[in-house]
Amino acid sequence: MNNTFEKILQNEWLELTIRWILGTIFVAASYYKIISPENFARAVYSYDLFPGYSINLIAIIFPYMECFTGLCLILGIYHRSAAILINAMLFGFIILLSINIMRGHQFDCGCFSFNGSGNTDSVYSMLIRNVILLLMGGFVLYYKGYRKWSFQKSSR
Amino acid sequence: MKRVFKGTAKELMIIIGISVLCGFAVNAYSPKGIALFGNWDTSKGVVSAKPKSHGNYFFEEIEEIQTAKEIFDRGDSLFVDARHPDAYHEGHIPGAVSLPVGRFDEMIEGFGSRYPTSTPIITYCSGRECEDSHNLARLLFTEGYTNIRIFIDGYPGWEEMGYPRE
Repeated sequence: MNNTFEKILQNEWLELTIRWILGTIFVAASYYKIISPENFARAVYSYDLFPGYSINLIAIIFPYMECFTGLCLILGIYHRSAAILINAMLFGFIILLSINIMRGHQFDCGCFSFNGSGNTDSVYSMLIRNVILLLMGGFVLYYKGYRKWSFQKSSR
Repeated sequence: MKRVFKGTAKELMIIIGISVLCGFAVNAYSPKGIALFGNWDTSKGVVSAKPKSHGNYFFEEIEEIQTAKEIFDRGDSLFVDARHPDAYHEGHIPGAVSLPVGRFDEMIEGFGSRYPTSTPIITYCSGRECEDSHNLARLLFTEGYTNIRIFIDGYPGWEEMGYPRE
């Protein structure tokens, strides 16, 4: 049974599918942030956790981190490093969500679009979504087998 | 092991470096770019990322709620509510006209036919964490209204002072 499970986890097609899904989600999530940095800065502000001087800098840099790490996964370049960064971003976001859930703070997550008047998704569904993405990121990071359709052949 | 760690660190630096460079470069040249540091302190006025494209406009901000009340008492200016219609219907400054930013295009014709462009206008929204009053001021300015001021504490500030509402 364990052997079968391990075999599934070492499946090249599964790795490719997960890598592409995760990469596409990150590139898609960066789109609205890149075309509307002002709205994203406001979403960062609404988390009520970042010092004022850092908010614009986060809004300027973070969307490109999302976009490039997503592209790295899709194209198969620097898989391991891209997965480390993606997991770090997801982990950070889970912490932010958890803090705001604990203190009952309302905010616009600004994940895929901006609605400007509070969040549409419930914070719990956002949290579950991020945990699933983190599991996917963990899988891409720890996968040891051959990576299909990848510009960089080394699996490391 | 050490080699792998070194390689990964290098890759991380490349991805982060390209992201930082791209972020700053695009922000510098994009018309939608923002200032490197915004104002996120409500005690210093309305919070804003300070978008560069809005830099050409300047409107007088009414920072004291009492000043807004004095203008209201004189009755020579039109208060215009930039908030969502639902918020307006829940409560607004007496005599204020609703002109939500999100419905500006469809409502400006009716507004324009009732109020000439020389009308002194005070825009307001939901206080210092809301930029709609500034956006409305800009939109009204492009329609030819020139006498516009912004009541930055908006309806929450007005309400807190216990001033009349309708």
